[in-house]
Amino acid sequence: MIPTTALAAASTAAAAEPSPVLALANTPVLWICALGVFLVVAVQSVIYMKAARKAAPSVGMTPQDLRTSFRTGAIAAVGPSLAVVLVAIALLALFGTPATLVRIGLIGSVSFETAAASIAAGTTGAELGGPTYTPQVFAIVFFAMSMGGAMWMLATLILTPLLQRGGHKLEKVNPALMTVVPAAALLGAFISLGLAEIPKSPVHLITLLTSAIVMGLCLLLARVSGLRWLREWGLGIAILVGLTAAYLAHSAGLGPVG
Amino acid sequence: MTATLTGPQTAAGMGEFERTTSRWGRLTMIAGLVFSLAGPLYLVFFADLGVTATQLFTAFAAVAGTFFVIWLVEPLTYFPILGSASMYQAFMIGNISNKLLPAALIAQSSIGAKPGTPRGSLAAVMAICGAATVHLVSLFVFVGLLGTWLISVIPPDVTEVVRIYVLPSVMGAVIIQAIVSLKQVRATIVAFVVAVLVLFVLVPLVPSLAMVATAIVVLTTLVIGWFVRKREATPGQDATPEVP
Repeated sequence: MIPTTALAAASTAAAAEPSPVLALANTPVLWICALGVFLVVAVQSVIYMKAARKAAPSVGMTPQDLRTSFRTGAIAAVGPSLAVVLVAIALLALFGTPATLVRIGLIGSVSFETAAASIAAGTTGAELGGPTYTPQVFAIVFFAMSMGGAMWMLATLILTPLLQRGGHKLEKVNPALMTVVPAAALLGAFISLGLAEIPKSPVHLITLLTSAIVMGLCLLLARVSGLRWLREWGLGIAILVGLTAAYLAHSAGLGPVG
Repeated sequence: MTATLTGPQTAAGMGEFERTTSRWGRLTMIAGLVFSLAGPLYLVFFADLGVTATQLFTAFAAVAGTFFVIWLVEPLTYFPILGSASMYQAFMIGNISNKLLPAALIAQSSIGAKPGTPRGSLAAVMAICGAATVHLVSLFVFVGLLGTWLISVIPPDVTEVVRIYVLPSVMGAVIIQAIVSLKQVRATIVAFVVAVLVLFVLVPLVPSLAMVATAIVVLTTLVIGWFVRKREATPGQDATPEVP
């Protein structure tokens, strides 16, 4: 089986600069695929804007209204986009640039994608980011994340026409079902994945707690002082402070043995 | 904005808009789907890594067991807010609740359009296009170019620490975000209890379950969470799960 050879390759190459995982994760083919997704989103926006411009007069919208809407949307997105940028940069070392751009930046989101990656790595017996994180594991993880994202798109592609056709019956589903069930699923997933980090090493525990506390403080401060931007930036700030704590604790020799 | 428009005129204009955006929205989303899968499939088939079909299936099944509910519920939740045209945008651009929805709402109020009306939906589409433009540019410049350069100059011991510990540092924050934004006290408690029991009691007893531990926690939390849910009706409660 491959794991042993890949593992050996990983440990020998660990001293050299780019880790084998990152070398693989940044190959040109993956860049091309990532830029393809960028291009698709851009093309879609152009088509939509043209369609909106054409329909505008019939609903009493001026070109100025369209421009205002576009500009307002653009300005409103600056803060959240930069917050996503910060989080994405933190994940470059784990997934490489192309995968991070597509999975974290566009289609998915940091919480779903890292959760999926952690679960997928677990099925191979490897630890995401640990010494067992080989190029082979990366390929499996990237595949699982992408398939997960594909399911989201597939659900959208199938359900949207159904809902559009007046299938509003679906909206009459017990509202408790629509709130309790997804909330329970998300809480179960993230809490389980978070707690699973604890036994890995004291540094993992310190990192988890630091990040959780910082996030809690950000959200609290956002509520008390009305600083809305803290809600958006909380995740990025918490990850950075968490990683700083990890660096200090790791340097103090609390990291995993081996 | 003085012209009074007749109903049929509006219906015809919006009808064409719906047709165009449905057709092209679907086609572009399928193209995005293909590009997003092409990368990992290339690695699996051509990078000579010895990945087996069983490994891929197991990994995907574990992810699916955890998230299939969200895959179905998210589109259902956002459809009434976004409308069909924006659905194809939103699920490709991502960050719906924290970026696209606020952008659309602010745009609608800035031109005095109500959500759900034709003017409102055109304003939302334009706002999402604006948000997408900013997002693509900032991702490309700050992550694609600047980030890649940053990674190459950061000392290797720092990137190593980041690689090892980025997962707990993401999860710590995400747990708090989920607890605060979902506001489901009972489900939160259930999730903690179930996760502790599964991870620290069940898995050590039956180590082969380690792979599907998360899925077990999710499904158990879901079932117990449903039975212990708060029963009294709470009308007007925000039904939008702030999905990451």
